[in-house]
Amino acid sequence: MKPRVLVLAVGALLTIPVIVFLAIGLRHDPHQIDSPLIGKPAPPFALADLEGNVVRLEDLRGTPVLLNFWATYCVPCVAEHKTFMTGERVLGERLRLLGVIYHDETSLIRRFLEQRGEWGRTLVDPGSQVAIAYGVYGVPETYLIDAEGIVIDKITWPLVTPEHLFAWLGQHGLAR
Amino acid sequence: MKRLILACLLLICGGAFAQQDSEVGTNALIVVGEPAGTPLSGAALEELTEEVAGRMRCPVCQGLSVADSPSDAAVAMKAEVRALLAAGYTPAQTVRYFETSYGEFIRLAPKAEGFNLVVWIAPVAMLLIGAAIIAWRLRGPRAAVAEVPGPASVDEDPDLAVYRERVRQELAAAPPAQGTDA
Repeated sequence: MKPRVLVLAVGALLTIPVIVFLAIGLRHDPHQIDSPLIGKPAPPFALADLEGNVVRLEDLRGTPVLLNFWATYCVPCVAEHKTFMTGERVLGERLRLLGVIYHDETSLIRRFLEQRGEWGRTLVDPGSQVAIAYGVYGVPETYLIDAEGIVIDKITWPLVTPEHLFAWLGQHGLAR
Repeated sequence: MKRLILACLLLICGGAFAQQDSEVGTNALIVVGEPAGTPLSGAALEELTEEVAGRMRCPVCQGLSVADSPSDAAVAMKAEVRALLAAGYTPAQTVRYFETSYGEFIRLAPKAEGFNLVVWIAPVAMLLIGAAIIAWRLRGPRAAVAEVPGPASVDEDPDLAVYRERVRQELAAAPPAQGTDA
């Protein structure tokens, strides 16, 4: 083999894998990484709602739980609000809806809920401890926990319409 | 007055941490078990908090560590790192606690095991291979020059004998050169 061909071959052998690595890696949104919690017991928590009443996840065992992290500054979260209002009305006691405030002021949350109504229970998460325990990157993020307390799914895209919500729940056998 | 305000802030923060510590402790106990280190405080705690937070990736930033990022998420994570270290969790336990919820992505430097070894070995391997290629290319052509006979000089090349002879004759027949100096 001629020296020049050999150099080109070795160069290609070294650079092609790097290019492939970068092509795959740079197109990969780290926020879309599957949660390592899926299939595992949901991290337990005891958080107070806006009235100071403590909600314990373990007390809800026996009913699937939808856990949504949201904030008033998050535009998709505002869009989701109507979805969850409808979802709660349709699903009733078959699904518990919990909203956890993520880096937001309770005064703003109160005003928002006074204007638009409240779905499920709105929980205050001091120091974002529960958000960290669930591996939250930003808002909105929604977790689905089954009746046995196992995390069965996490989504980082907004459930803009009730149809989105019911379709997602349907994938897990929790549709209406 | 400033000291009074500072004292009030510390009291408020302290109260908040005291409330949060139990929540962190419960989850950490489940995830990584009993603390395996020594509870820290003061300057040692702050120093280790910076070091451990510096090893963790801020989830909402581009390539910043939790220690370097001013974002709310990073500040909250750093507070939790501090709370875990203060409770006696080791740096390894602390990082593992975050890894349980965020995955390996939370580590700024991936663990040197399995497929991750490529990240650690490839740069060194490529550097060595590159250096070897450069060394080979620098040495190769010189050696080739030494081995391959160069073209014969004008005085020796038999193909040029006719022309050499013609030049000699023309030079012999030519009048002597005139000096140009004044």
